[in-house]
Amino acid sequence: MTMRAAVSALERRERRTAWLLMAPALGTIALVVVFPIAWTLWESLHLHDLRMPWLGRPFIGVQNYAEALTDARFWSALGHTLLFTASSVTLEAVCGLGLALLLNRPSPTRGALRAAALLPWAMPTVVAALVWRFMFEGQAGIANTALLGIGAIAAPVSWLTDPGFAWIPLILADAWKTTPFVALLLLAGLQQIDPALYEAARIDGAGSWQRFRAITWPLLRPALIVAVLFRALDAFRVFDLIFVLTGGGPGTATETVTLYSFTTLLRNLRFGVGSALSMIIFAVAFAGALATIRLFGASLVRGRE
Amino acid sequence: MKVVALSLALAVAMTACRGVPEPSALTLGVSALGTEAAVVRGQLERFRALHPDIAVEVRATPDAADIRHQLYVQWLNARASEPDVLQLDVIWTPEFAAAGWILPLERFQPREDDFFSAAIAANRWRGRLYGLPWFVDVGMLYWRTDLLKTPPTDFATLADQTRDRSVPYGLVWQGARYEGLVTVFLEHLGGFGGRILDDQGRVVVDSGEAVRALEYMRDAIRRDHVVPADALGWQEEHARFAFQNGQALMMRNWPYAVALLQDPSQSKVSGRFALAPMPAAAGGESTAALGGSQLAINAHSEQPEAAYELMQFLLAPAQMLERARVAGQYPSRPTLYDGRELADALGVQPSDVRRIIERAVPRPVTPVYSELSEILQIHLHRALSGQEEPRAALTAAAQSIRYLLQRAELAP
Repeated sequence: MTMRAAVSALERRERRTAWLLMAPALGTIALVVVFPIAWTLWESLHLHDLRMPWLGRPFIGVQNYAEALTDARFWSALGHTLLFTASSVTLEAVCGLGLALLLNRPSPTRGALRAAALLPWAMPTVVAALVWRFMFEGQAGIANTALLGIGAIAAPVSWLTDPGFAWIPLILADAWKTTPFVALLLLAGLQQIDPALYEAARIDGAGSWQRFRAITWPLLRPALIVAVLFRALDAFRVFDLIFVLTGGGPGTATETVTLYSFTTLLRNLRFGVGSALSMIIFAVAFAGALATIRLFGASLVRGRE
Repeated sequence: MKVVALSLALAVAMTACRGVPEPSALTLGVSALGTEAAVVRGQLERFRALHPDIAVEVRATPDAADIRHQLYVQWLNARASEPDVLQLDVIWTPEFAAAGWILPLERFQPREDDFFSAAIAANRWRGRLYGLPWFVDVGMLYWRTDLLKTPPTDFATLADQTRDRSVPYGLVWQGARYEGLVTVFLEHLGGFGGRILDDQGRVVVDSGEAVRALEYMRDAIRRDHVVPADALGWQEEHARFAFQNGQALMMRNWPYAVALLQDPSQSKVSGRFALAPMPAAAGGESTAALGGSQLAINAHSEQPEAAYELMQFLLAPAQMLERARVAGQYPSRPTLYDGRELADALGVQPSDVRRIIERAVPRPVTPVYSELSEILQIHLHRALSGQEEPRAALTAAAQSIRYLLQRAELAP
């Protein structure tokens, strides 16, 4: 046996071992990621309605996608989702930034404050949603009583059954729940900024606004982008909060794409159309994430330099 | 909440798959909570004593209707032979019958004349009988005997009677976007002389009568303030709490509330309310939505004869009276309403109740009822919350329902 042959045999054996060692991980990924997506794709190309078994289960190509995309309820659900995502994430970014700046200031109670600020985030969403529902439910609810008391409203409002007002408790509840998460990420970003920069700026006579504008903001941007991306992806898939607070109502005025696909798939048992809806939501979320990374990826790298 | 319920259903399903003691045991899929569970256990004990050759046991299924439905669909779609006997909600029989999941019953020659005719009608699909009513639920008008002299018999009087009221609400009902809203609408619809589907199965929910019924419901909330706007988020229990706390003159609800309202430890209206049929308008008649549970036999059951034996036992008068006494559920046999026994069991006049049940109408008997209902729920809720005019809402709903029936190949 020549030297080269021995090496290549060894290499081959090592390569085989490597595959063998990776097999469990690859198998798991195939099982929990690839298989469900492929199965959903397969279902989405068939007429499969558990409530109408007499129709059989024929292959119908992209008809389910056509039905979903020509459905006014789907487009309004998508509109609601985008409205919810944009407004709640904006609110969370602003409040989160403020909270992070506040928590970053040296103070004797900083530790306790940080723990307290994180509390809403630690609470299960369903529990938080029930609390918010309790506050906003009914004309004699806590929110109405308080707002009437301070004169912010002239008459009680049916918060959860009014197509416009219903968004207010939904967005507020989401902001209350996840602002701490944004603040936490931003706080980590703030603490990475070299204090020497602020000292130098102060010596040069920069005011606090100038210091924020010239140092904090540009150096915090990467952390802010990560926080907003995470939150936007989460808000796009919002389910439990709306399910508990309004159930997508009144009518379908606060129905999001996830609620719509849940109803189609699990309530009406329309596996074909429901799967098509899931694939569309998946594609939109994936494209959104990709676009964000494309747009801000460069600035992420620049920020680190 | 959903997740918990789902995992519960899954857990139940898993235990059901594992714990099969012997192949010959007959299984009964029922809701098994609280007093109902005790009733079923006791009755099965007596059945075993009468039929020592038939082994029988309970498959507990989730109490929440849509979770139980989901579980049944999974089992039956997989052609499971268990449970042999199924407790079905009144709106599921046509769906399961059309899917071929439950057996037509004529070979057992059931005596269908012994049951309320509306309850039998709800169990028919394409002329064949697939289930027998176990107990019935009907929508009724609860009214305060200390604040009103008589209950309203027509909708116009109802509005007058609530005008100078001393309590916050005139009438409370279930207006959240769920199945309950459809039953409330059905009662108003019948009261105005309208229907959802006609005898040929054509969609007529966009008729003038239907529009007037929905306009009346909307005006009751938005113009006349007879019904509180909060009711758009209410289910049965919310309405009961409002009535029980003395906040409402009248309430539309199911019979289950009677026992709770009579309990002075939690109710402020104990001894100060009575039951009446829902009001009607000119051209319509007082209508009660029919609810309740049915018993049916799994089409893949390995022992349909024994299964029917069990069904007959559970549907016998003695068992029904016990159910009425312990769980407050109304028997599906009209003759039981003549006896003294039921009066003691229910705490209300059986003849009053019987009068209401005889006016009960089933919801549309169609295999695609759940989707039909969802379409109605959305448009009704939009109309009541001021997002759509009643006529536009019902026109849109009718159009969607026609498309649904066409898609299901059920269009007349």
